[in-house]
Amino acid sequence: MNKDDILTQLEDIVGKDFATNRSEDLYIYSQDPGASLPRKVDFVVMPSSTEEVQKIVRIANQERIPIVSMGGGLTLSGLIIPVKGGIILDMKRMNRIIEINQFSQYALIEAGVTTGQILSHLNENYPHLQPPIPDAPPSATVAGNTLIHGSGYLSQRYGGHGSMINGLEVVLANGEVCKLGSCALSDYWFDRGPIPDFIGLFTSAFGTMGVITKLSVQLFPKPKMRDIIFGLLNDPKDIPDLLLKITATGYAEDILLGMQDKPEWMKGYVFVMTYITGDSEEDIDRQSKVLKRIYRKTNARFMNAPEKMKNLYLDKPIFAAGAADFRKGGGFEYVGAFMPLEKIPDAYEKGAEVARKYGISPTLGSRLIGGVHTIVMFFSYSFNRANALDMENARSALHETNQLALDLGGIPWKAELEGQKLILNQIDPSYTKLMKTIRTALDPNGIMNPGNWEVD
Amino acid sequence: MEIKTEQDWKDIVHRCFRCGYCKFTHEFSDYNCPSYKKHLFETYSTGGRLWLIYGIISGEIPWSQGVANVIYACSTCGNCTENCRFEKFNDFLVDIIEAARAEAVANGFCPEKQKALIERIENQTMFNPYGELNSDNDDLKKEYNLPDEAEWVYFIGCTSNYRQKNLRDATLRFLKKTNIDFTLIDEHCCCSPVMRTGQINSVKDFINYNINQINKTGAKKIITSCAGCYRTLKKDWLKYGFDYGFQVFHTVELVKKLLDDGKIKFNSEYNKTVTYHDPCHLGRHMNLYEIPREVYKSIPGIDFKEMKRNRENAWCCGAGGGVKIGYPEWSLEISKERLDEAKLTGASVISSVCPFCRTNLTDANNKYNMGFEVIDLVEILDELELEISD
Repeated sequence: MNKDDILTQLEDIVGKDFATNRSEDLYIYSQDPGASLPRKVDFVVMPSSTEEVQKIVRIANQERIPIVSMGGGLTLSGLIIPVKGGIILDMKRMNRIIEINQFSQYALIEAGVTTGQILSHLNENYPHLQPPIPDAPPSATVAGNTLIHGSGYLSQRYGGHGSMINGLEVVLANGEVCKLGSCALSDYWFDRGPIPDFIGLFTSAFGTMGVITKLSVQLFPKPKMRDIIFGLLNDPKDIPDLLLKITATGYAEDILLGMQDKPEWMKGYVFVMTYITGDSEEDIDRQSKVLKRIYRKTNARFMNAPEKMKNLYLDKPIFAAGAADFRKGGGFEYVGAFMPLEKIPDAYEKGAEVARKYGISPTLGSRLIGGVHTIVMFFSYSFNRANALDMENARSALHETNQLALDLGGIPWKAELEGQKLILNQIDPSYTKLMKTIRTALDPNGIMNPGNWEVD
Repeated sequence: MEIKTEQDWKDIVHRCFRCGYCKFTHEFSDYNCPSYKKHLFETYSTGGRLWLIYGIISGEIPWSQGVANVIYACSTCGNCTENCRFEKFNDFLVDIIEAARAEAVANGFCPEKQKALIERIENQTMFNPYGELNSDNDDLKKEYNLPDEAEWVYFIGCTSNYRQKNLRDATLRFLKKTNIDFTLIDEHCCCSPVMRTGQINSVKDFINYNINQINKTGAKKIITSCAGCYRTLKKDWLKYGFDYGFQVFHTVELVKKLLDDGKIKFNSEYNKTVTYHDPCHLGRHMNLYEIPREVYKSIPGIDFKEMKRNRENAWCCGAGGGVKIGYPEWSLEISKERLDEAKLTGASVISSVCPFCRTNLTDANNKYNMGFEVIDLVEILDELELEISD
């Protein structure tokens, strides 16, 4: 089939208004706000139902056209820019909130529901419940966030957002629909098991295993009150001890750390923000006193957080895009790396060195996921996308940071193509063999976001 | 920071990160950018638009009718400026889009329908975007016994003078009843429609003409019942470098002052349920939200209801930015969404303080049989018995 015929078929499925190969649309979808170079896109299609996704996938499979599904398009690491051309499935028309289960506390939603949408829906209709929200703008989708193994609000207390998926509806490369989790045998999307857990196959797979059309995500009780206990550490070496002591109290809903040169008073320090929750002022005061004592005993200077900062961080979603504007140049990417706690001090020290080497002001951060079991470390690089050298510097810094994370025993998160290659070079060969076997079985024609997690 | 020169906006446009806040309401409950909500492709978000503009500036893509269409498919309602989180950048988003439209015009890519605006305005028998013969307003001056010189000039605006005469006449009656010393001028278009669509070659001549006309009357205060004229006179004329020596007021500001000073009092009731539509030109562009509400709420008998999206969060009526002339069907779809929202308040009357909003809401009301009474605030006041004190 030629391209005109394919477009006609896609239009027949989704309607003329929701399929395009107009050059201005393809230009926008060929790039994301990160440092990846633009790559070719052939079509952008917006399905409105699982059935439409199935029909599109069947055409793609028959014609061997790559398919890349996209949520908010905010991974920054180019995961939704096709590597080998093809169709971008922009999922935003699949934006129905199907069910909010208040007993088992989950939301059953379509894959295009944004984090802003679910947050707003709960605030208005179920104010006692809260969803997992990433450190990303509200146009990030719940599916996108959870499927890339995201983290953010509530991660310290309840774990990574990827682990909060109870169930998935997936369209496989052959067009068949598969339900995973308890929904495979029950009307309730309340758990992943206890059956063989295939949901993991689809997380951090970057769309290489299938197209997710529905998911169930866990919800959590919303506390009456929330506050931030803010402190400054002189020496990153004290981080592990401090975090072990804070998490041992069981008080922290979230813990965020950061190091940046601006504003001036933060320069040279690592800031620590512990989110606490409670039912009353007394409750908050009691926890606050305990944490202040811990801060003092572990060389962290407690300070009253500036009101502006407090409001900014208590607001959901946090305005993470603020970090993207450090250079006022519209470009931003970071290496997020899952790290073991004991390597965090080195990560701060060496991460700052990499940034300085490339003339970038160090902007580092970290967030706890499920207590101290994992720390996601952020090495951020804001750049001016109107300056080719600046972008090249950012790409080099990102690449070097990916290697740094691996050298420290960490794993780059939602890695861009170059980062994926580094991971695959280091990963146990039996892992790649198993990955290839599964992928070939599920997608023999290699249409699902090919080029990502590419194993020879 | 002012975008003063052509180069300024070209220097900052790439700062957009496409984070997407610009698409939403404040609480993220829905898309609040009419263009994005209609088309849904990222291209039609403000971010998409700015990235296309940067693509042209950087030479990555050429001008084309397709690119121009995206840049014109925006009502310039300002929801993006309201929600973009990048300070000292967000204020200029609409300016950048309008500047890019001027580039489209300069490169021969102004869409055909929008060209009619400049053709009519520059027509020496019209000087208005509606293609009507120019009214020098002499007949109105005679009818209302208005002087040649006065403290105030009522700048009627083309929409009120040629399409919403009831609003114009209600304003004239209100000004007479309240003993305002005012007159009219032989006004030409304020140039809002051509500024919004990038057809700016003769804008300075029009501004100059209107200022001269105003100066001839000796007036130091201008009043207008049009939100579009209000924004254009008060903001854009200055931006174009005209440092005029008079103050500009919207009618609703005068009404509020007269009420506050105890110079008018309502002696009858308006026993209807009314909801207020914030015109983008008055609200997001001029930050005037509370004064209209205070006036509505001061009317005896009125049952005033807010729509869910109001003030900075309001949904556009769909008429502005050249959308009504360029995309008439879509323009009415946007208005219908506003009327649907108004329906939920239980109001029977949807009211605004902008003749252009009034026109589009009326057109949608008729097309979709929504059953509202669409009426301007001044027209409501015209129905009331006023007690005037000196």
